[in-house]
Amino acid sequence: MFEKVLIANRGEIALRVARACRELGVKSVAVYSTADAESAVVRFADEAVQIGPPATSRSYLHIPSLIGAARKTGADALHPGYGFLSEDPYFAEICADEGITFIGPRPDVMEKVGDKATARDLMSKAGLPLLPGTVEPVNTLDEAHDICSEIGFPVIIKAVAGGGGRGMNVVTREEDLAELYQTTRATAQAVFKDSAVYIERYLETSRHTEIQLVCDSHGSGVYFGERDCSVQRRHQKLIEEAPSMHLTEETRREVGEAAVRGALSVGYTGAGTMEFLLDLDGNLAFMEMNARIQVEHPVSEAVTGVDLIQEQIRVAAGEELSVKQEDVPLRGHAIECRINAEDPDRDFAPAAGRLDTYVPPGGPWTRVDSHCYPGWMISPFYDSLIAKLIVWAPNRDAAIDRMQRALSEFEISGRGVKTTIPFHQRILDHPQFRSGDITTDFVEHFMSEEAAAAAG
Amino acid sequence: MTEPKRKPADQELISAVWEEARDLIKRLEGSSVQRFAVEAGDTRIEIERGIPSGIAVGPLQAAAAPSEDGAGAGEPDNRHAITAPLVGTVYRAGQPGADPFVKVGDSVEAGQTVAIVEAMKLMNQVQADIAGKVAEIVVEDGQWVEFEQPLMYLEPPEEAD
Repeated sequence: MFEKVLIANRGEIALRVARACRELGVKSVAVYSTADAESAVVRFADEAVQIGPPATSRSYLHIPSLIGAARKTGADALHPGYGFLSEDPYFAEICADEGITFIGPRPDVMEKVGDKATARDLMSKAGLPLLPGTVEPVNTLDEAHDICSEIGFPVIIKAVAGGGGRGMNVVTREEDLAELYQTTRATAQAVFKDSAVYIERYLETSRHTEIQLVCDSHGSGVYFGERDCSVQRRHQKLIEEAPSMHLTEETRREVGEAAVRGALSVGYTGAGTMEFLLDLDGNLAFMEMNARIQVEHPVSEAVTGVDLIQEQIRVAAGEELSVKQEDVPLRGHAIECRINAEDPDRDFAPAAGRLDTYVPPGGPWTRVDSHCYPGWMISPFYDSLIAKLIVWAPNRDAAIDRMQRALSEFEISGRGVKTTIPFHQRILDHPQFRSGDITTDFVEHFMSEEAAAAAG
Repeated sequence: MTEPKRKPADQELISAVWEEARDLIKRLEGSSVQRFAVEAGDTRIEIERGIPSGIAVGPLQAAAAPSEDGAGAGEPDNRHAITAPLVGTVYRAGQPGADPFVKVGDSVEAGQTVAIVEAMKLMNQVQADIAGKVAEIVVEDGQWVEFEQPLMYLEPPEEAD
């Protein structure tokens, strides 16, 4: 096991990792920008190093300062958290060169799974289902026409190097194909410096379903069930739950096993997530793999009873996974609400400020992952996440009731501070949410429904 | 940035690599390239651009200054801290064995190099941002420092007294 882990992140995830280290008996080092000098993880960690000014380019993204902090404190491993440098193969490589274990997959593996076309190719070879379409980039308009007549419209043209919802176009009619094919290529070239595109069937309504897995360096991998993250707004997840209400036991096992097989086939180690689209008939299609721990990992922890961050640290230290597949049956239902400092009435604009009141909920099976406390300044420099509220209950209905109870207890206020709590409460109250029949367009419909009601 | 003068090893090779790097820096001016490395044998020079080298100015955040203040030594502190521009190893001289850039009692001009902070083979000159007299040096040669950690304190020039 490691002696000392440097946490190259901030906010709730830095504290989450430091807590896991403490329980494992490993020393932790926090790094912080001048804006985060009073942060909870700085107080909690065994050591802390100030690495730069508030601007992330000179602090949390500044590799020489992070490496310097690790060298200064003698850390033998580095946990990147999520975001920032967590999926930067170059950073992982530098850590390796400096003799610091990067807690995540090897740089070459990270690079492979980070490339969408390569990842699709590798995972389809491992037996993961893909949407009808191409694995290889499409090079000519003729080729594009051939593919579309094979898979049928609507299709989506995507930039191989794309991401974050950019560089993709939906084509519903054959006559638009030529124009949109050229447009997507041009955009891809301009934005991502790579004009390569691929084409796949477009699903108008689907559910965002993802499989959590962890692989060790001894050739073992375990999947920890799936999460449904269909409650999202412009690709930002708001509510996540586990398990999905729309997977059969058989599909769960088949896809879980294929996901682990796919990850192991590329030499993947550490925690990772495979993202899928689930259509209304219950068919899954692989979209991409995230080579890091994710924000919503606690819902999987709640239904499996496994601390995923501890597993992640263990396998990075060369140990075997502490659990086998048969040790992780899914129990009950868990829901997570992301409480952000945003104003839903003003198009989710950031509403940061100092917290005068911060009283998190408590009670049975109620977990709050947060770095906040009364007096903490939600800084405009960073993301607006205040807290992740996670509840568990034996079934989904009881979990929704528990979440409502917990949300009603949560007190957060401060000058200029607005939160997404009321928005969550209204979503949870909605009969469609209660029914579980949620697709990724739910929030959009919900908001226009509310707008119409307010206008009428 | 100055030439890294570490081990006596192969000064010629180092100079060659450094020349190459310098040339690259010039050619990359105005481009969006942020970092690059030049390598030959065991020598590797890595450059990250967009970091204003040197001067760290301004009042220190309370949390940034681990030493000093303490048990209220009555006199108002008019000394000016020169702080580390980034995390790294501080060197008080341009090369091992050379005279330090400054000693206590020296007068310095604004813009004068007073130390170097090395981070991943990147030499960052620390320059005095005001003129003054070196009153105290609070770091050892080769010590690791944090961002904005005080390296030394300057007293304002005489006439300000």
